[in-house]
Amino acid sequence: MVTLGIFDAFTPQNVQYLLGGLGVTVGVSVISVILSFIAGSIIGIVQFERIPYFSTFVGTINNIIRNLPLLLIIFFVYFALPKLGIHLPIFWATVVAMSTFESSMLAEIVRGGLESIDKGQFEGARANGLTNIQTMVYIVLPQAYKKMIPPIISQLISLVKDTSLAMGIVLSEMTYRGQIVYAQNSTYIIPVLIAITLVYFLLNYGLSLIAKWFDRRLA
Amino acid sequence: MSMIEFNNVEKYYGKFHALKNINLKIDKGETVVLIGPSGSGKSTLIRTINGLEEIQEGNLLVNGFDLHDPKTDINRIRKNVGMVFQHFNLYNNKSTLENVMLAPRLVLKRSEEENKATAMALLDKVGLADKAANMPSELSGGQKQRAAIARSLAMKPKALLFDEPTSALDPEMVGDVLDVMRDIAKDSSMTMLVVTHEMSFAKAVADRVIFMADGEILEDSTTEEFFNNPKEPRAQQFLSQVDHK
Repeated sequence: MVTLGIFDAFTPQNVQYLLGGLGVTVGVSVISVILSFIAGSIIGIVQFERIPYFSTFVGTINNIIRNLPLLLIIFFVYFALPKLGIHLPIFWATVVAMSTFESSMLAEIVRGGLESIDKGQFEGARANGLTNIQTMVYIVLPQAYKKMIPPIISQLISLVKDTSLAMGIVLSEMTYRGQIVYAQNSTYIIPVLIAITLVYFLLNYGLSLIAKWFDRRLA
Repeated sequence: MSMIEFNNVEKYYGKFHALKNINLKIDKGETVVLIGPSGSGKSTLIRTINGLEEIQEGNLLVNGFDLHDPKTDINRIRKNVGMVFQHFNLYNNKSTLENVMLAPRLVLKRSEEENKATAMALLDKVGLADKAANMPSELSGGQKQRAAIARSLAMKPKALLFDEPTSALDPEMVGDVLDVMRDIAKDSSMTMLVVTHEMSFAKAVADRVIFMADGEILEDSTTEEFFNNPKEPRAQQFLSQVDHK
């Protein structure tokens, strides 16, 4: 057959192979989103609370990580940690690297969100007899998270996109597998890249819809 | 026993000496008004009583507990001492009713049924029963302040601190808030300390007036004495500048 239709790239094997890559991408993303949301919140609160020495220490580490390229962190976890005796399978190495980096980004958003809450909210609650923790849980965090939804979601969207950097350590995620597929035939390049583009778009558009839903529910 | 007792209290913000050798006793059930020019330390003084500001020297006994003693549990004091703020500080993420019910539920573990009944009765008392479901952003300034007063009263405190409760209100809202405060002052078991610029309120309600300037208490006298025969020149000057007739 001479007619090279755009769908020729999508043989059953290729589609299955690409979907497997999507599974890896989604897996890394979902686990990293959850881990970095939890860790980022804790780090952000620690920085906000200004605990002597400890907050400064955590803040400094966080600043260093935040200013490194993600790819470097991925290389460090996958290539350097084994030299120190810590061996992680490639999937988990990516999860650890992504979570570390995204936690430090989210921590900054959480800290900023907390700073934006009027001091009167803390004073009102403390004067009312609430403990520090009750004040955070019932009054401050709900208000802060509501304000933080848009920046947090855009950070999580970058996280999903940045999983593609793991092809640097040959993690078999979606973008990497796309490359393998169009390496078979150069006419596959455009259709495969378009397909991958659509999938990333749908993933992230889904995320932003979830964000809108949360925003409306909390408003 | 006095409800609130300052003994040689000193407070600094860095090098700035905010409270200078404060000695003051307020008895249970007393209504005391604290007045003075802005920057005189009135708000700082009232905020030390529930530990929103720390003191550096002296001791400060509230309901028998020393606030300057690190062993004192500050939350135990705050349970018994309510505070009403200039800017209300209602919980923005809670309805009016929830604002009133939250602390009794979390701190006093009051049963949900009793908590709701008490809260509704208080909202009724301050004229906000119909606003129970509204969010603070839907209330006017005067309504917010009355809700904040109800929130403080729900803890059944022994003392209430008012930090310029009407200063942020539009003039037509002031009266309703003062009426509620007058009502509370009638309760002979409630100790009230009020920082205010409302001289007519001070005259009508206060047992005593404390006059402060530059971080010091310059005059501590009965209301009548203070308004008719102020001793300190600073107090005389202050009274001549504010309209208190």
